[in-house]
Amino acid sequence: MKHLFTTTALIMGLGTTAMAEDITIGFAIAKSGWVEAYDAPAVAAARIRIDEINANGGLLGKQLKWIEADTKSDQAQSASAGLQMVDEGADMLIVSCDYDFGAPAALAAEGEGLNSFFLCAEDIKAGIQGVGPNSFSASILAAVQGATMAEWSIKERDAKTGYVLLDTTIEYNKGICTGYDWMFPKAGGEIVGRDTFLNGDASIASQITRIKSLAEEPDVIMLCSYIPGAASAVRQIRAAGINSTILNGSAVDGSYWLDAAPDLSNFIVPVQGSIYGDDTRPAVNEFRDAFEAATGAGPSSTYAYPGYILIDLWAKAVERAGTVDGAAVTAELEKMDNEPTAFGPRSFSDQLHHQNTAEMQIVEITGGKPGVIGSFTISEPVPLDVLLK
Amino acid sequence: MAQTHKQKRLSAWSTPILLIAILVVFTVLVTIFGDKSLARMAAQTLIRVTFVVGLWIFVGNSGVVSFGHAGYMAIGAYCSAWLTLDPMKKGLFLPDLWPFLANAEWHVLPAAVASGLLAALVALLSGAAILRLSGIAASIATFAFLAIIYTVYSSWEGVTGATSSVVGLTRYADQWATLGWASVTVLAAAWYANSSSGLALRASREDEVAADASGINMYRHRLISLVVSAFFAGVAGALFGHSLGVLNPNSFYLGVTFITLAMLVVGGIGSLTGAVTGVLVLSIIIEALVRMERGIAVGETTLALPTGAQEIIIGIIMILVLILRPAGLTGGRELRLRIGGR
Amino acid sequence: MNAIPQLFFDAMSLGGIYAMAALGIALIFGVMKLVNFAHGEYIAFCVFALIVPSTDAVAVMFIGKAPAIVLIPILLLVGAAVAVASEFFVFRHMRRATPVAMMISSFALGFVIQNTLLLVYGSRPKAISLWPELNKPVSIIGASIPLLQIIVILTTLIVVVALALLLKKTRIGLEMRAAAENFTMARLLGVRANVVITGAFALSGALAAAVALIMVTQTGVADVRMGGQIMLVAFIATVIGGLGSLPGAVAAGFLIGAASVILQGFLPLEARPFRDAFLYTLVIVVLLLRPDGLFTSNSTKPRV
Repeated sequence: MKHLFTTTALIMGLGTTAMAEDITIGFAIAKSGWVEAYDAPAVAAARIRIDEINANGGLLGKQLKWIEADTKSDQAQSASAGLQMVDEGADMLIVSCDYDFGAPAALAAEGEGLNSFFLCAEDIKAGIQGVGPNSFSASILAAVQGATMAEWSIKERDAKTGYVLLDTTIEYNKGICTGYDWMFPKAGGEIVGRDTFLNGDASIASQITRIKSLAEEPDVIMLCSYIPGAASAVRQIRAAGINSTILNGSAVDGSYWLDAAPDLSNFIVPVQGSIYGDDTRPAVNEFRDAFEAATGAGPSSTYAYPGYILIDLWAKAVERAGTVDGAAVTAELEKMDNEPTAFGPRSFSDQLHHQNTAEMQIVEITGGKPGVIGSFTISEPVPLDVLLK
Repeated sequence: MAQTHKQKRLSAWSTPILLIAILVVFTVLVTIFGDKSLARMAAQTLIRVTFVVGLWIFVGNSGVVSFGHAGYMAIGAYCSAWLTLDPMKKGLFLPDLWPFLANAEWHVLPAAVASGLLAALVALLSGAAILRLSGIAASIATFAFLAIIYTVYSSWEGVTGATSSVVGLTRYADQWATLGWASVTVLAAAWYANSSSGLALRASREDEVAADASGINMYRHRLISLVVSAFFAGVAGALFGHSLGVLNPNSFYLGVTFITLAMLVVGGIGSLTGAVTGVLVLSIIIEALVRMERGIAVGETTLALPTGAQEIIIGIIMILVLILRPAGLTGGRELRLRIGGR
Repeated sequence: MNAIPQLFFDAMSLGGIYAMAALGIALIFGVMKLVNFAHGEYIAFCVFALIVPSTDAVAVMFIGKAPAIVLIPILLLVGAAVAVASEFFVFRHMRRATPVAMMISSFALGFVIQNTLLLVYGSRPKAISLWPELNKPVSIIGASIPLLQIIVILTTLIVVVALALLLKKTRIGLEMRAAAENFTMARLLGVRANVVITGAFALSGALAAAVALIMVTQTGVADVRMGGQIMLVAFIATVIGGLGSLPGAVAAGFLIGAASVILQGFLPLEARPFRDAFLYTLVIVVLLLRPDGLFTSNSTKPRV
């Protein structure tokens, strides 16, 4: 309820429209419905970076203003929200975290030649290959997360056998498993079995029966899923007495769901920045504290961070281009090669508007307590043909 | 004085003309007074008119509730994507398409017609089995059909892209293109309802036994109406894809099934006027509530509904309408001019 | 490791959940020809009633804190209350409406409940640790089964037997059976319509609460969309079982659960994502073979 009143208050405070000499950033994001949980933290982080830029004198000598429209976690409303932002004079668009719900709004921006940034889409189509030449995502491709888990588990945990459990409900999950499938055999592991389930399945008992019927418990289980299905799967896997190390994508980051699987151990999550204040890079921890100071609570998952990164990168590109014109900014963004950010270097090219390799923090949950145990970068970037598979 | 037969026929044809006139006025008003985002919502509304009127051709005339039409919509939407997408993109994201489809670069209009035809063909095949059932068993079978289509389209990796959205469709379906199709659908629905098949079907809806005794082959007429109906559901699907530019199987599952059935029932399942009214009234209320959530300036202050209130209010409105007018807003009556004496 | 008993328990426990949900839908359909699409939302409502209303990411137990002996009856009451309330506010005013209009308003009601939950609890799924000790595996005839699976199967059996006794031995039960057979006739013979309908809703809501408890214990999460899938399967089970037939609903629930588990277990990997397509094709086939359901009650047979 508290949240509800603050949003209403925000809307009330926003009665005045942006002035012509400002640069306007349009947020076409979910403020209601189930996507809101992913969008809200990243939006808050983006606004922190906007405020920082304004405090330092703005961009190209102008102040940054933001306007927003609710996609209501609905594709048709997303298209409408995107156009509304264009109508209201946005110079660039920030769209929903999820590719499916952000794309209609991003297409509206593309139609006007504006830049669009997905808050945290990890599907290659949220970029040149799908939406169009001026669309970017600030997050790290799902396949990179899976590949990171594969190589890390072999190098650091001496894993030899792996089992793949794929939740076929959304594309993100498949991306994780694609990366894992590419890297695990390449790095010397053997995939001993695989199975699928659906996020909403009331029970995954038969999938568990299949794992238990293996001659030997696999060293690692790559679980490509998201909350709530992932939490439910982990609870059932551990309940069945399977103690293999469970590898995941970033989507299960956060400690809010850990009650679902009490005393969880041997559970690994790769993230772009730790939310527990123990990141190996002090700048990330400083931002985490700034986020807590600004919003009253620390980020609930790592998906807050890309919001900050995207404004940071976009503003740098605008500064270099000297304009907010979509094509010019895109050209500057595509020149970025290992551009330093608080969350590690970021690169874009005219082939890829995503990160196909990145330094990831490895979070391990032991006895129900999450903590960073190190950082890891895959030995080679995930090639384009794997990403397009 | 009684109307002559000819006058009655003319009077019956006044219904689609009046309904199309309403749609035209709606579109013109939105275009003149609205912004781009409102025009987009008008296009969405007209796509829903196409779909719901198409749905009415089957449900309204046969009295069998179909949960399966969103499936025909999906078939149409993906068919249009197969036919019109840039072959390079298809090679990249839909690698398993048959060569004929993979190389196709059709114009959007024949593609929309082909999408409708494919949906109609599937309706012929699925209906041939499902319509042997009657009443609630038939409804459940249509639902099972929807679930099958949904599962297949969200798992058939190389042909539909599965859960990965298909992107890159030309976004031509603006308010004018959709107005055209909505009008054609309304005309076709009126034509079918007044055809001998439509009349026979409605007779069987009222009294199955009497109609059977009069020699009406209910199965045959149900199948005909399902095929006609699925054609327009398929076209609506094609328009939907070309309005958003993005296709995902989730757009064609339970959400759209229920909201469109609700529109039909709230408007009045018994009449074509009811189908159009239901879509227009609910869509306009939804848009009004969305704008109220955004905030309305009253003097110095802005008043706004809490975010997320729109869904709750629209649900309550639907319940109230159904409690107060169980036969829908139109109560099953048609909007028509009285031609000739009374 | 013994695969066959393991498979049997997997099938029975999933089927038990479906059977209980199907019973909830069949009870209401029997007395008032209403296909209650809000049933899935009753389940979600009961799950969320366990935790303190808040949009915070971390869930705090509310009713869920109570010991089982208190918690179970309270949650069953919550389920019954929300179902009875929905009858009182919505369906009571629709006695003369067509089944289609009632079905659509039940869907609208579900939509209202779901969005209210979203507004109050936020959209992020929550974790609930309810009785984690029930997820410990035990060994039975060569199969290692989580204790919960056995509890689910036993609970279903107890619920079905208790319901059968209630329907056979009590006055309200007799009235409900009479109403399910022929509602108009039953009313003419002095069956109190409102009492019977309220009773059916209360039982149906309590069954939703039972399903909610099992789901939470099994999955450990609360999500507003969690009732939907079960409700749809239950709805189909109700029809396959023969609408209005309570034993039919139970049997069909178990059948669908078993079919689902067997398909998951024996389909080749490439075909496994298509599991539900096979399942629903089976549904159509069964309907074509037995259009009135596997167990037909007299009232649903056409008279001509």
